[in-house]
Amino acid sequence: MEKDGKNKSSSATETKKEGLAMNRRDLLKTSLGIGAVAAAGAFGFHLTGSKAEAAPLRQLPKKWDEEIDVVIVGSGFAGLAAAAEAAAAGAKAVILEKMPTYGGNSIINGGVYASWDDEYHLRQKLNLGNDSVEQHKADTLKGGDFYGIPDLVEILAKGATPALNWMIKDGGLKIRQTVTRAGGHTAYRTHTCVEGVGRGYTEAIKKIAEGKGAKVRLGTEVTWIWRKDVNSPVAGVEVKTPKGKKNIKIKKALILASGGFSRDIKMRAAFNPGIVPEFNCTNHPGATGEMLRFAQSIGADSLQLAFIQLYPFAEPETGILDTPAVYPFNGVGYGLVYVSKKGKRFVNELERRDVCSFAQIKLGDKPTYSIFNEQMVTKMGGTKEEVEKGIKKGRFIKAATIAELAGKLKMPADVLQDTIKKHNQYIKDGKDPEYNKPMTKSMILLEEGPFYGIAQWPAVHHTMGGLRINKDAQVIDIWGAPIPRLYAAGEVTGGIHGSNRLGSNAIPDCIVFGRIAGANAAKEK
Amino acid sequence: MLVLSGGHAGAASKDSASKQSCAACHSEFSSLLPKAHPPVTGKDVTACTKCHAPDKEAKAKPKPYAARLHLSHAQPGAEVDCLACHTWKPGKTLGVKGTKANLGVLSKEGMEETKKIFASWSSSKYLDAHHGKKNVTCSACHEGKVPEQGDSVENARCLACHGDEEKLAKKTEPKDFPDRNPHKSHLGTVNCTVCHGAHKASKIYCLDCHKNFNMKIPFGEGPQAKPAAGGKAK
Repeated sequence: MEKDGKNKSSSATETKKEGLAMNRRDLLKTSLGIGAVAAAGAFGFHLTGSKAEAAPLRQLPKKWDEEIDVVIVGSGFAGLAAAAEAAAAGAKAVILEKMPTYGGNSIINGGVYASWDDEYHLRQKLNLGNDSVEQHKADTLKGGDFYGIPDLVEILAKGATPALNWMIKDGGLKIRQTVTRAGGHTAYRTHTCVEGVGRGYTEAIKKIAEGKGAKVRLGTEVTWIWRKDVNSPVAGVEVKTPKGKKNIKIKKALILASGGFSRDIKMRAAFNPGIVPEFNCTNHPGATGEMLRFAQSIGADSLQLAFIQLYPFAEPETGILDTPAVYPFNGVGYGLVYVSKKGKRFVNELERRDVCSFAQIKLGDKPTYSIFNEQMVTKMGGTKEEVEKGIKKGRFIKAATIAELAGKLKMPADVLQDTIKKHNQYIKDGKDPEYNKPMTKSMILLEEGPFYGIAQWPAVHHTMGGLRINKDAQVIDIWGAPIPRLYAAGEVTGGIHGSNRLGSNAIPDCIVFGRIAGANAAKEK
Repeated sequence: MLVLSGGHAGAASKDSASKQSCAACHSEFSSLLPKAHPPVTGKDVTACTKCHAPDKEAKAKPKPYAARLHLSHAQPGAEVDCLACHTWKPGKTLGVKGTKANLGVLSKEGMEETKKIFASWSSSKYLDAHHGKKNVTCSACHEGKVPEQGDSVENARCLACHGDEEKLAKKTEPKDFPDRNPHKSHLGTVNCTVCHGAHKASKIYCLDCHKNFNMKIPFGEGPQAKPAAGGKAK
């Protein structure tokens, strides 16, 4: 990709300009509410006129209100990690966060973290089989149908463990003393923080970042990226603050860590019409993708924007991914079973998120349920307190027997009993003739109560596509060359998870590339 | 303290208004003063400033003198020109007649904004009016600075009167679902002003995502509205 790009970028500047104009025009055709971007103007070039259109629509500001070494857009996993590393390397690092609270999607994320190893070597201690960087990489590539860029996936798999240990040692992160095997993963490598939500990690990285002097400015929205022309470095950003507009000059680098666009209904449907407006969404309201569009408008390349993931197990009514909604994801490695309203299995529970989601949508009968028992709770990284709270809220349904549970879930008792009996037999046999699930010795028979059920339904969760980056987290332009002083990390980037992100790969992705972006940004002269 | 007046008295009256003295409306003060107050003679605010020195410490606590003066003279329909009591060099200094105190910098635009805020302070359905009625003036929240548009208030300033976070959390803990507590959010420490708007309707941030939660907030609007507790901050 890079090699290819360099060849192209060596062609005449004129061609470059033409190319950009063409590309933008095409983009405008395919996307929707991008009118806003067009109206404000792509950096140097008029998009609608003919050849003599190289007139800038928006001139660079004559005067800057402020200068900052490293500006980071977004205060989630990626942004905090970038700020921590940039500040640690001695740069003045400031995070701009448009929302009134920090953390974006990360702070409400499900809190699961894939890593082949950890500070305590939990997988080895708990005798849960083998794993390696190579195996994590292979699973991630396969799980994304090999659309992921192998070099980037390798960085994720390799960096996951050191990043986890960094948060434990420097940020005071506490993880539960278990690992789970989640859908699409061939090993027990999914870790959970004690909080059971992403806040465990964001607080740890925030502590490291602020300890090194990084600052977070809330309620500060980037409204434009300043770049003079296609050969220039990124110059600065325009921001909207409670005290009005402001232009910030960037001395070293701009890092985009602004997340995905799951909450922009038009944008997601423009790239993937199958993601219909009726779908619920697990994301916070700020996940609207405008930074991705600003970056495109200054020449950044993007890829795989049609790949949009549903979380298969969200709360059916609101689409929220609350603490109970993580159980169906974490429990499958220990024998948790998914059933329809009729009490029948409908999928191999160890399948990837896209398969589990569309298997439910195909049933067309909302919701479906996860069935598990008390023995599985702590093994899958859950706690008794969480289950008790979930019962009070009506999220978990508890029963002494499978028949009683079926009654409470309003499904035929004989069918559910039969389903569970068969599944128990499959565990004993080590073989699932119905859905070909790879049964493991760690799976628990659903024989001993109390039993639990939880309702689930897919909701839009993660946009796998995004800005094209290289191994150094530099943003690549549409001719294949890095845009000077522009970096990106996390969900705003694309090409790592391919067509389907494996659960618990998002946090390591964000943190590993955030750290790389921050460290490299600080090195800029 | 901040100054303000109903500027829309019109250009014609502007000059004379700024020369307004208390005597123009008040022939004597005794009927206005608290019972135990010693007798006051004089024609303008300097009669007061001999004893009531401008508050330079600007602690977060009620200030009845400043609150009453502003509430009575700054409410819609009863606007008195700020310069009846205050000295003001636009963009430079703001003071109180008869004293050397410099309360801060107030621009022309800032003056207009301040007048609007004061009108709201005395009559709005928001937190500002609630504080005003409890004699909590601008500087109690804004730390003695003349506030500018877009200024926010730090949590510590609110908590100085409203107790620490733990106490607050205890107060708002729902009986049915104890962890659905707005003061013990899963978002960590949240700025008070995210939900509690002093000069606009308060709005529950939780409900942006948790649409099915049944929650109320004092000084909110619509279904979120909750009658003010009216209790005293400690």
